[in-house]
Amino acid sequence: MMKQIIDKWGKSIGIYLFLMILFPFVMPDEYYRSVGIIIGLQAIVTIGLCLVMGLAGQISLGQAAFWGIGAYTSAVLTTKYGLPPFIGLIAAAIVPGLFAFILGRAIAGLQGYYLAMATLAFGYIVQIGITEWEPVTGGANGMISIPQMTFFGGSELSMYFLIWGVVTCVLLFSLNLLNSRVGRAFRAIHKSEIAATSMGIDVRKFKLNAFVVSGMFAGISGGLYAHYMGILDPQPFGLHESIKFLTMVVIGGMTSIWGALIGTILIGFISEALVLLSEVVPGLQGDVDTIVFGAILVLFIMFMPEGLVPRIRTAFEKGQAKKAKAMADEAQRKQQVERKAAT
Amino acid sequence: MTELLQYVANGLVSGGIYAIVAVGFITIYNVSKVINLAQGEFLMLGGMVTVALIGMNLPYGLAALLAILMVTLIGVLMQKYVIAYVKKANPISLIILTIGISTLIRGIASFIWGKDAFALEPITSNEPISIGGVMIAQQSIWILAAVLIILFLLWYLMDKTILGKKINACSVNPMAARLMGISPTKMSMLAFAISGATGAIAGIVIAPLSVTSYDIGVLLGIKGFSAAILGGLGNPLGAAVAAFLLGIVESLGAGYISSGMKDAIAFLVLIGMLLIKPSGIFGERSVGKGGL
Repeated sequence: MMKQIIDKWGKSIGIYLFLMILFPFVMPDEYYRSVGIIIGLQAIVTIGLCLVMGLAGQISLGQAAFWGIGAYTSAVLTTKYGLPPFIGLIAAAIVPGLFAFILGRAIAGLQGYYLAMATLAFGYIVQIGITEWEPVTGGANGMISIPQMTFFGGSELSMYFLIWGVVTCVLLFSLNLLNSRVGRAFRAIHKSEIAATSMGIDVRKFKLNAFVVSGMFAGISGGLYAHYMGILDPQPFGLHESIKFLTMVVIGGMTSIWGALIGTILIGFISEALVLLSEVVPGLQGDVDTIVFGAILVLFIMFMPEGLVPRIRTAFEKGQAKKAKAMADEAQRKQQVERKAAT
Repeated sequence: MTELLQYVANGLVSGGIYAIVAVGFITIYNVSKVINLAQGEFLMLGGMVTVALIGMNLPYGLAALLAILMVTLIGVLMQKYVIAYVKKANPISLIILTIGISTLIRGIASFIWGKDAFALEPITSNEPISIGGVMIAQQSIWILAAVLIILFLLWYLMDKTILGKKINACSVNPMAARLMGISPTKMSMLAFAISGATGAIAGIVIAPLSVTSYDIGVLLGIKGFSAAILGGLGNPLGAAVAAFLLGIVESLGAGYISSGMKDAIAFLVLIGMLLIKPSGIFGERSVGKGGL
């Protein structure tokens, strides 16, 4: 399995690892490292979302809810019950996975708008639930002094590598999935559910699995987020964040795992740039990033629905084909000239 | 007993608003098979634009009229330049598209008006009236009157006029409609105009009762959509009835269980409904099948 992936994506993985390891050293500023950490956390979520959207052809507008469930699960277990963060993180994967399973079971037959609205509603219920369940979650005031991870001393740099280590695992797992029989089944579902069913693919089961895996990824990321931040409140786990995740996947290309990663990095930097901009330009009140994400979603669906990575890949392949054709033409022409010269 | 009646009365008022949103969804869905997730934003814009225009010293009636026209125009432009452009997109892209539009509108609204909530003066006095011990704000009566008039007019338009028959023809078979000289694109544009106008009216009449702010559209949109699904997507009458039911259930839940959980109750009803009978209470089996 591993060999197949390396055969297929070896170059990309190499570039990815190189840049990922290089980043914190060319950016020794703690601030940029923390930006890198947040982007890594988001990438774990968006790669999972990509499995649901790009491969299973479904949409989830409640990804931030799974993120939140993971964050609060680990935070409550470690802060209130004194469990080590490691156990908290395992629970942060399992509990959202269970939620995704139950929700997915309930709505596995749904598609399109129904699933979109069901997940949107679920997201709201979770955010309301977190706010209302005050004795456990601290309500709107949130939780403080959540234990930090003591991974290699717990510095910003070690956190960065821990989180990007998880991103790498999630990435390889997803690429592997994409390359396997399961991945082919997913792509068949994305193309046509009816055709997939007639080929003997259990569509419901596959969609459910994709949904559960995406919930677990989001949960792990949430758990890491809780321990990285040390404080939590319900605010970041709402629709705004879910739409941000959606934008990341759309911009990179829904059908590409690499697209999800690149989309996350792009949006991450755009968000940072907007924060910096709003500090310089005084009139920028309100959610400027909301305008930007909304515009990106609309423009991409209108003009580049396949997303950046597949578009670039097609352009590259076209270029290659053109080059090959030009070379073939040239060879043919030469041959003709030679033949003429011979006669 | 009075308490129960009071909750039911409150529920009827909010249910009326959900009914307008739900009918807006269905009007567009029937013609163009698009669920416009920016529907709630139409309500928000109706209220906010009116507040803004009154702030510029325009008289109430004129401000409201201009706001309605503006939102109608936004609906038409949205159909013409965005929805029509991606005619052949798959459902998942259409969902993302309308989500994008709603996010964009919300963002622009927060950019223009900030995050503060605004209140509008009630159409008549602030004094609530008592009917058999049940206190009803005068504005609530305006809301219910507006809802009933809009629902009646829509029913009349769809069932009794040639224009309504044209719209229905497009929803049944766009190809055949085109052969009969009806332009499905124009009908779709009309549907967006109708849903923009009705949404704006709803947004204006509720603004005095519950404050309006840039982000009220999301909740109203989801609840309207819940009602549309509960009633059976594609069936306006069913959706209106379901919307009133949803309003009452929500109000009872808020009264007897917890007011903080009010919104969660509506969503639990939605998920429960999707679980048991996704085609809705009054829906036909075929409607919305294949997830559209």
